[in-house]
Amino acid sequence: MSLHVTFRVGNANYALPASQVLHLESYETATHVPGAPAYVAGLVQVRGRLVPVVDLRTRFGLPPIEHSLDRRVVVVQNGTRVAGLLVDSAREVVQIDEAAYEKPPEIIEEQASGFVNGVATSAQRLFLLVDVPRIIGEELSHG
Amino acid sequence: MKRLLIVDDSKLMRDMVAACLRPLGAVTFEFAGTGLEAIERLALSGFDLVVLDLNMPDVGGIEVIEFVRAQDRLKTLPILIVTTRGDDASRAQVLDAGASSFLAKPFAPEQILDEVRRLLPA
Amino acid sequence: MSERVDLNEFIGGFVVEAEELLATANTCLLEIDAAISDGKSKPKAVRDLFRALHTVKGLAGMVGVEPIMELAHALETLLRTADRAGGTLQRGAVEVSLQAVRAIGERVRMVAEGRSVTAAPVRLIEQIAATDASSEKVAAPPSIAADWDTRLSASERQQVFQEMQGGMPAWTLGFVPSEHRAARGITIATVRTGLAAVGEIIKVTPRTQLDASGKQAGIKFEILLLSKAARAQLAAVLDVEPDTLVAIAAPTPATASATEAPVEAHEPELEDRAHDPSRIGRATVRVELGRLDELQDQLGSLIVSRFRLERELAAQAARGLDVRKLREVTDLQARQLRDLRRAILRVRMVRVAEVLEPLALLVRSVARTSHKEVRLELDARDAELDKAVADRLLPALIHLVRNAVDHAIEPPEVREAAGKPRVGTVRIACTELASKQLELTINDDGRGIDREAIARRAQRQIADSQELLDVLTTPGFSTRDAVTQTSGRGVGMDIVKRVAVQELGGELALDTQLGAGTKFTLKVPLTIAIVEVFSFECARQPFVVPVAAIEEIFELTAERIEPPGKLRDHRVTLVHRRGHALPLISLDARLAIENGTTAKNAMVIRHNGELIAFAIDRMLGRQEVVVRPVDDPLVRARGIAGATDLGDGRPTLVLDLSELGDEHERIGA
Repeated sequence: MSLHVTFRVGNANYALPASQVLHLESYETATHVPGAPAYVAGLVQVRGRLVPVVDLRTRFGLPPIEHSLDRRVVVVQNGTRVAGLLVDSAREVVQIDEAAYEKPPEIIEEQASGFVNGVATSAQRLFLLVDVPRIIGEELSHG
Repeated sequence: MKRLLIVDDSKLMRDMVAACLRPLGAVTFEFAGTGLEAIERLALSGFDLVVLDLNMPDVGGIEVIEFVRAQDRLKTLPILIVTTRGDDASRAQVLDAGASSFLAKPFAPEQILDEVRRLLPA
Repeated sequence: MSERVDLNEFIGGFVVEAEELLATANTCLLEIDAAISDGKSKPKAVRDLFRALHTVKGLAGMVGVEPIMELAHALETLLRTADRAGGTLQRGAVEVSLQAVRAIGERVRMVAEGRSVTAAPVRLIEQIAATDASSEKVAAPPSIAADWDTRLSASERQQVFQEMQGGMPAWTLGFVPSEHRAARGITIATVRTGLAAVGEIIKVTPRTQLDASGKQAGIKFEILLLSKAARAQLAAVLDVEPDTLVAIAAPTPATASATEAPVEAHEPELEDRAHDPSRIGRATVRVELGRLDELQDQLGSLIVSRFRLERELAAQAARGLDVRKLREVTDLQARQLRDLRRAILRVRMVRVAEVLEPLALLVRSVARTSHKEVRLELDARDAELDKAVADRLLPALIHLVRNAVDHAIEPPEVREAAGKPRVGTVRIACTELASKQLELTINDDGRGIDREAIARRAQRQIADSQELLDVLTTPGFSTRDAVTQTSGRGVGMDIVKRVAVQELGGELALDTQLGAGTKFTLKVPLTIAIVEVFSFECARQPFVVPVAAIEEIFELTAERIEPPGKLRDHRVTLVHRRGHALPLISLDARLAIENGTTAKNAMVIRHNGELIAFAIDRMLGRQEVVVRPVDDPLVRARGIAGATDLGDGRPTLVLDLSELGDEHERIGA
């Protein structure tokens, strides 16, 4: 069992191993970066560090939502890169058995499926495990 | 070309002295930052004049003068002392030790220039 | 006559050298003060202090600063008496000396700022004159060795005696200078440096050498050295055979075993000392920071011209010319430029140990006024930092250290009652991180910060250290009142955050334990790029561009534009300026951002020798900022040179208009 940070985007619940998460930040706005991909909300400054933020709604092909106080930036570390994931809300930390990860079924949130690499359940709820390297375009940093 | 040795533990002071003496024209300036370095340089090569500070970290100016004057080949080397100790007692002590001339800091640029011109052998 | 030499050109040099000498003076005074606390004397520090002030006096005279001369002279007189009395200084004399050094320092700064220098305070001069230098008159100094006794001052004899009794081996060493040795780079200067790295030189005297017939034959230096170094090591420095070295017998039988150099067992310690750069006299040169900036600017233009060369080369190649040989040269040049850039950056580095030096004085004075007993531990090792970073960092450190002493460390009685040592400790340590950052920790063993009390005062919940830090660093949040007693932090923490995070782009963290102490951790970049920029708005978003990139800024009026009216598309528009028509690019269109406002200004850049104007909404201002790279692939985009913080805690993009101008060429073609 290990701790996972869970968050909501659209109608689905997602989870990430807590070990990949640096912190959770509230979100007001990000500095738009002209020329960056559309799913990049922009740059924010988190504890003195410049962090690019990926808007998961856009990344998953969902329509934008109105400004909401619930929105959070999940700051994740992937190798030497640090990035923020903008989500609708992030409230809970749950225990998930990593051994119980399963392959994602080809259902719910079809657009997001490319960025989900597993599903897991905790307390009878289903969580989609997000593929951070895919989301932050790890392939972009090579070549 | 005349060779002058300027001895002072303050680099700034060495630079200022050299600046004051720039109008001399054809001379080369060499520098030493301590009394010991001055003694070594004087013992190993020939200079035409030394401008010497009294207060230095290792051996003081008086000791340098006394030592230089005790060397047969350096008995007539012109030594100009520049020092903050401008009182008569210091002046007497310095000249007694064998310095050729004495200039109290602060001095005007022309003063040291005149003094060096006077001391430099033709 | 053109013989007049103006010594005013040396004012800058005077300020630099005087400040260095005053720093030395302060260090000496602190050493002496510490020695007094341990019931010892520190004759060497008294001597160094005397010399530093003497030099300040001489220099002040040359550049004509009377009040500094006067103060230095008074202090010098006091110290000469102390030196003659065996090198002891009593506490009252240390105190008055510190005041005088401070008074001199204030006046040096007046000189630096070109203000008229205020007269030396009469009361202080009188106070110095009335101060007894030494607490005790030393009786006849002890005998070291008949040969040396007459050559050493009372204080030197006192020092050697003390150290030898403590088991320190003493040596009489000889060095014969020669042209042959000088040619191999072995001179009295290098010998001194080499010996100073492995011991303490007490005295060097020159001797005349005589040959068999009694005629003078060169000179020899005799050196009295205190050192635990091995015989062979000393011999190597002197360029002689080991068996020619003479160890001096210890003055009392009690320490007879220490007579002969002990050596091997001490080797590791000596290795450490030899590698401590502060003990090795490295040749140094002082350079004004402005000159280094100039150098960096020159390098910048060199890099630009290299790119132009590349471009020309590409054009030639496109015409079918064989440019392979030339390419080899430009590739080599690219590598050389990179090396040059690295070398210039290295020149800008200063030792952190030097940066932290003023803090010792601060701790001492704050402890005194707040009636605390505090020990400052500094552990900077060999870490180095860009001078520009160091200059910005120091105010933050001063703040943290002052707070630690003033608020965090408890009064001695309170500490004892709590079962803590009477003397509180403030420890500053630093480590270089792999991320090209310096991590500094400021640790105190004081009362810790009371989270509950702060929460009550801030009227909000505080869940963890990060939130606590957020509250403490909120501008205007003050714990100055009854809470100070329990919170242990004073005012102005927002300054620390502003420096560490906004100005330097670093990080600040806090770890505190009630009753046990507090640790602040600052992470700052080893180097920063400080750039003067214009800030402006485009599509309501603020941006900045380096001032150096801009040729001109002018107001944009409809009649200047051709064809008149719309600016928004990619067609080439022209703007009339001083009788010339320049291509005008709409920045919002070029950046593909939606805009509903009208451009009020235009900024002109020179691009490949040609002027191009960019239309922007409005100018905001001009300031110096720290530029940080934006290099994550997610946000790497054309025309974005980096990001900065204009003070609102949000990133503002730094634009490279020249890169955006490139597109103009392509589109125009």
